[in-house]
Amino acid sequence: MSDDHKPQAEPTAAELHGILAEYDTPDQLIAAATKVRQAGFEKWDTYSPFPVHGIDAAMGIKMTILPWITLGAGLTGLATAITMQWWMNSYDYPWLVSGKPLWSIPANVPIMFELTVLFSAITTLVGMLMLNGLPHPSHPLDLVKRFARVTDDKFFLMIQAADAKFDERDTRSLIDATSPVAVENVLEDRVTPDAMPAGLVYGLIVVTCAAVVPLALAVKARHSKSESPRVHLIQDMDSQPKYKAQRENPIFADGRADREALPGTVPVGHLNDDDHFYRGRTGDAWARTFPAQVEISEETMARGKQRFGIYCTPCHGQGGLGDGMVHKRAEALNQGGWIPPTNVTQEYLRNMPVGELFNSITNGVRNMPAYGPQIPPEDRWAIIMYVRALQKSQAATINDVPESERGSLK
Amino acid sequence: MATEKPKKDTGSQPKKADKAGGGGKGGSGKGGAGSSPEYAGDNIRLGAAGQSLFVKAAGLGAVGLAIAAALGAAANDGFRRFSLSYDVAFCWVLVLGLGALFWVTLQNLVNAHWSIVLRRVGEVLAAQAPVLALLALPVVVPIFMGSSSIYAWSNAEEVHNNHVLHHKAAYLNPTFFLIRFVVYFGFWTLLSRFFLKNSIAQDSSKDAQGLAAKMRAAAGPGMIAWGLTMTFCAFDLLMSLDKLWFSTMFGVYFLASCVLSINSFLPLAAMWLQKRGVLTKSVTVEHYHDLGKMMFAFTVFWAYIGFSQFMLLWYANIPEETDWFRHRFVGGWTGGWGLVSATLLFGHFVIPFFGLLSRHIKRRKPTLAFWAIWQLVMIYLDIYWIVMPYADAAGPPFGLIDVACLVGVLGVFIAGAAFRAKSLNLMPTNDPRLQKSLAFTNI
Repeated sequence: MSDDHKPQAEPTAAELHGILAEYDTPDQLIAAATKVRQAGFEKWDTYSPFPVHGIDAAMGIKMTILPWITLGAGLTGLATAITMQWWMNSYDYPWLVSGKPLWSIPANVPIMFELTVLFSAITTLVGMLMLNGLPHPSHPLDLVKRFARVTDDKFFLMIQAADAKFDERDTRSLIDATSPVAVENVLEDRVTPDAMPAGLVYGLIVVTCAAVVPLALAVKARHSKSESPRVHLIQDMDSQPKYKAQRENPIFADGRADREALPGTVPVGHLNDDDHFYRGRTGDAWARTFPAQVEISEETMARGKQRFGIYCTPCHGQGGLGDGMVHKRAEALNQGGWIPPTNVTQEYLRNMPVGELFNSITNGVRNMPAYGPQIPPEDRWAIIMYVRALQKSQAATINDVPESERGSLK
Repeated sequence: MATEKPKKDTGSQPKKADKAGGGGKGGSGKGGAGSSPEYAGDNIRLGAAGQSLFVKAAGLGAVGLAIAAALGAAANDGFRRFSLSYDVAFCWVLVLGLGALFWVTLQNLVNAHWSIVLRRVGEVLAAQAPVLALLALPVVVPIFMGSSSIYAWSNAEEVHNNHVLHHKAAYLNPTFFLIRFVVYFGFWTLLSRFFLKNSIAQDSSKDAQGLAAKMRAAAGPGMIAWGLTMTFCAFDLLMSLDKLWFSTMFGVYFLASCVLSINSFLPLAAMWLQKRGVLTKSVTVEHYHDLGKMMFAFTVFWAYIGFSQFMLLWYANIPEETDWFRHRFVGGWTGGWGLVSATLLFGHFVIPFFGLLSRHIKRRKPTLAFWAIWQLVMIYLDIYWIVMPYADAAGPPFGLIDVACLVGVLGVFIAGAAFRAKSLNLMPTNDPRLQKSLAFTNI
């Protein structure tokens, strides 16, 4: 458009912020915007009660770069999540969960997803505000009465006086040519003070100070000691004033919370004075017979088989041959130092007195731990009875088979 | 609203210019809420091109099925390989057909305006449910006869000898499956026929608004029933291939493929139609853009559901559940089924995620078509990955029989759709929401 006028005289132009035009319909606004764009103006804008389709094209607004900012933020969130979880779970504080590798990608994916979305969303919001120059506390248009209807049913267009092409007369005639309902000069805002309102400033100071308090308390708590119990906001059963097993108790000289029985006393029901039944001894030798309390019966044998299955098979295997799953796993790992479980059916064990077998189970032998604390004595005897049966199965002769069954073996 | 002015957008797309040409009439129709059809004289009849497509697709389909059957018989394995290949191909087309029915139901349910110009195409695809029922027969007839070579639960002797199958027999048995099969395909046929019938009636009805409301009312219950039938069909046809494995998320996983499938197929169908001079003015870049957005959304949704299913099983680490994935990780990242799993991770999610992210890609037909085809291939690979480890535990046994099955099944499906489409208006010209769909623009 025409730019052949001499530059504006400074004092009056400083007062003028821009020229505002009012329209009745979005179509008029789009037509006007197209003309203003074609005239080559840069510092101008349109205002409408709702997003008008096609206004972007009419005004020549370029595609926003916001998607790229969002993409960058999303990738940053993704990288943050990966780094954070690697650092926390496998480097700074290695913590094994469910036997998974210290750094397990599948477990990290939900956090990777969340942080990607979080970073993207917050950056999109903040980026949108910044690209739009928001928040914008005051604007000269706020003082124009007519402009209030922009939130209701009117459409406006304003060209700023600060535009390089602005010329009060030419610009005015350009705007008149777009047949607006009304045209008005918008003056610079000399009413609203430039400073932020005092109330807002003080409010921000108070909020900022208050925000520091929790942080300061946390720092103090980390660097000071206190005699009083910790503050317990929620009185649930999380905190119980009692001594738990194997904890320290300063009341006693040995400092242990667990107490031993007094010397010379036996708890009720724990006398265990039957050497045969509780220790597998008769006189000075290992017992060669089952104690009287153990009934030699099908039932005891079934019990023994079941208990053997629970306590012994993991190492010794179903047949007692020393080929349980623990052994197989150890073989497969091949890490050295593994002492294979004993084959319970071999000859020296076949000849071992039951009392000595009982002692092995009760107190453990070589690599095998003591099972006395876990298995009641009658069950230990039942297991031995089953072990005897297993031994027999590996060293049986035809004579052990009942006469009537022998035919089916051949 | 001011949306009646179609010519004011960016103007950078040639499609827009097209529209502006016919828009002189469209612009004057402002305010008249669609009682008179104004689609700028667009061609909405397929005519001879439909007949030609029908002949070609039917021919290809017949040849494909014949080759597949011959190869299956030659393999001499009781049609086991053929059945698995056919199951993959059939499920891929089933996903498309079910996706179309979902899409049509959804547009009615939410009273969508933007999609009206494409609705009839979706309805025609959805109405192929009876064709799908026919195509299902090679997979399901052996089940009814109790002698399927791929579904162990159909075989009474196997069930008797397998403790787990014995437990599942209350649900997984040939008789109950026959009942379910009739319910699934019967319901899908009824629902899709209902939509197509009322939609066609709308074209010449004085009460187009009433018919739209009628379809909307049926869409709610229809959607619920669709969700249930789709879920149980996925259990029956795909999940039950494994005797032991189960996943409560499997139905949703299947749904992700259904929705992605139709949103990938519709833009391709629309492009094909436009090349033949149909719907050239009505379907604009704005509609393609929206379909592209749905493609992108369900690309992410597929990954979200697939990973959710995987992570819970991985974390719990229970043998009967992890076994299914163990078979699909055979060969690590670089070979066997593990390579297919990795291909799905990157090819079905990571790469198309970034590929479909940009607005410009979704607004250009060649790039959108590229990703649509890409995702349809990935959906096929996904189903292949679910089914085919039962054919070869070591790695994907890609072969001619797979191609033959796919060509056969897809050919018959397309032939069915073309046969239906050639004598129809391909746009609901009398729908009260048509004007808004024609003038639809993305911000």
